[in-house]
Amino acid sequence: MNSQPRQITLKEWDGHYERLRRAGLREPDYGGPISRHVEEGDYRLLRLRYDNSAASLRLWNFLLTEEERLHRARAEGKKIVGTMKDLGTVPVMAYSLDNVVAFYPDGAWWIPCVMELSAGLLTIADSLGIDESFCPVRAMLGAFVTGAHFPIPDRLICSVGATCDDFSAIAQRLDSLGYSIFWWEIPHRRRPEPDEAAVKLPGGFSAPRCQVEFVKSELERVKSALEELAGQHLDEKRFSKGVKKANRVRRYLDELRQLVFTAEVCPMPALEMLIAEMLAIHFCSDRDETIIVLRDLVDEVKRRVQAGQGVLPAEAARIFWVNPVADLQVMNLLEDCGGRICGTEYLFSHALDRIPEDLPPAEALARTALADPMAGSAVDRAERICADIGRFGAEAVLISRIPGASHCALEGEIIGDIVADNLGVPVLEIEVPPVADSVRASLRTRLEALVETIRERRQR
Amino acid sequence: MICAGIDAGSRAIKIVFMETGGKKVIAKGIRDQGVEQDRLTLELFERLLKEGGIKKRDIRRTVATGYGRDIVSLADTTITEITCHAVGVRHRAPEAMSVIDIGGQDSKVIRLDGSGKVRDFAMNDRCAAGTGRFLEVVASRLDADLESLGEMASKSNTPAAISSMCVVFAETEIIGLLASGTARRDIVAGVQKAVAARIAAMAGRNLDSPIVLTGGVARISGMLQALESALGKRVNAAPEPQMTGALGAVILACEQVNGGQV
Repeated sequence: MNSQPRQITLKEWDGHYERLRRAGLREPDYGGPISRHVEEGDYRLLRLRYDNSAASLRLWNFLLTEEERLHRARAEGKKIVGTMKDLGTVPVMAYSLDNVVAFYPDGAWWIPCVMELSAGLLTIADSLGIDESFCPVRAMLGAFVTGAHFPIPDRLICSVGATCDDFSAIAQRLDSLGYSIFWWEIPHRRRPEPDEAAVKLPGGFSAPRCQVEFVKSELERVKSALEELAGQHLDEKRFSKGVKKANRVRRYLDELRQLVFTAEVCPMPALEMLIAEMLAIHFCSDRDETIIVLRDLVDEVKRRVQAGQGVLPAEAARIFWVNPVADLQVMNLLEDCGGRICGTEYLFSHALDRIPEDLPPAEALARTALADPMAGSAVDRAERICADIGRFGAEAVLISRIPGASHCALEGEIIGDIVADNLGVPVLEIEVPPVADSVRASLRTRLEALVETIRERRQR
Repeated sequence: MICAGIDAGSRAIKIVFMETGGKKVIAKGIRDQGVEQDRLTLELFERLLKEGGIKKRDIRRTVATGYGRDIVSLADTTITEITCHAVGVRHRAPEAMSVIDIGGQDSKVIRLDGSGKVRDFAMNDRCAAGTGRFLEVVASRLDADLESLGEMASKSNTPAAISSMCVVFAETEIIGLLASGTARRDIVAGVQKAVAARIAAMAGRNLDSPIVLTGGVARISGMLQALESALGKRVNAAPEPQMTGALGAVILACEQVNGGQV
């Protein structure tokens, strides 16, 4: 049953779900109406607007059942690895092993939003001395303390160095609470000196060979730790197979982004696209299912594009979005104000790039890790954003700051200046707290003004 | 026919009526904002109709702006204050390239292109520093009227250093300064300097001249000079700075009528 694409409320989804079922909807074992997750405390879901496709239903259910999936993995005797401050590197290795499930404990930063602060995770972080001057990812501390969300991992692996100061402090606090962490270092990416051997990285960057070698040696240490945990050797064949699978995810995402961001009429809302992109980081704890979820989304979007159907008016202002938002509702708000997403940079563009398959896997993964936007300069990041704005034809850039997050305190301004100078498009910076209700009116004004500015520019 | 522009701001409601064709202002008024915003707006609207001898049925289109724009039931449509201030300034000072609007609740820096249209803008975040609210808190703490702050500041030779950009912390600093015997005039001058510095930081580099100041804070003497000093550039206050948003709204209402958009 193919419905006319549109965004619907949670209540509308209940009725729509029944109609889809009667029409023969086939669901995975984690399927069901989205509204059932409200009973588990995900109150924010009541306020969101959703895409009405079966593919999006599957995406939402996949996302909202991750904790169940992790508990089931534990019950099945699988080894659980928490890959912290890791936007798409160690999970590629972990999922190359048979008996290991990797997840992203930092993802707990969305719990205060989704549960509208009811879980008290930020209060626990406060009590541990990690107050609101830190990034909302501090919610992760509360999740470890309560144990109410994800199972405590068998191994915690965290990158450190050229990552995020806030997260490093939060992770050290976690370590001090008795949760032992295996640290690996990612250096600040720099351009090769004239007399240094240079290596090309995904995303168009380059780095000196010595930096690639260093990251490779760090990843070798991580690999040994994973092998010890799994009781299995990660040979090159198995590793390469894992890289290929990760690239399948990345290829689907690339196709999805290209289709959605360049379509004349927006075929998939910003919120579903944000969640889909997030699957690249750690596959929402099930790599094979991620591939199916993304395949379905791509098929749905293709169908809509071919039919010229979309979820927003054709004249929606085309906006490139930088950094993820703490409050998911703001993605809906942008669309309420007359905008649509045409390009994103959620701080993990390297996890969307293909891992080179013509290189030994450790070398390929080291190069991809070094292409992490957080490991490079803000100027590098801005230049990549400029290139993507051209690719997707965005008319303005919106930089979303995360309160307390140190990795974007000044970066937004630098990116804004470079984009404005190079492309001459309007740039707006906003700050979005985990529950943005109290600043909604002010955010709305800015977003509406940005859309008005774009429309006026079109008339010139 | 007549159009109306309503600026439902956080501190005051401003309304301008304009003849649809001639772009001639035929009535305007202002009153304090309150809890029942829609009722207060309606009362001002009707008072102005009566005073101007205007019949309600002659109102062809009404555009609302300002932070309370969405609850103005009289409005046919809403447009943000960023666009409205730009249009209002363009009407009064077509040569302007930048607008600084310091309102009761927020402040904005708007960059215009050669034709007076919005090129880019920046707006303060949740923090009240750099807004009229900041000055209100100061006035209240110093037991002074908002309007008298400028005169007080003009007598200062040594503005106090207000280091905090947060209105709450700044208030604490002011209490400390008062306790240490710092003169009120020096505190006010220091606060004006801090507000101007906040705006200058938001404006960033390359704010093109001519720069026009709008919003209620422009009426407080001394703010213009504080801004000029912080920006290192000349700043002109818009005529009737508080009415700029409502003026822009009514002009846009007229354009919508004349452009056949309604």
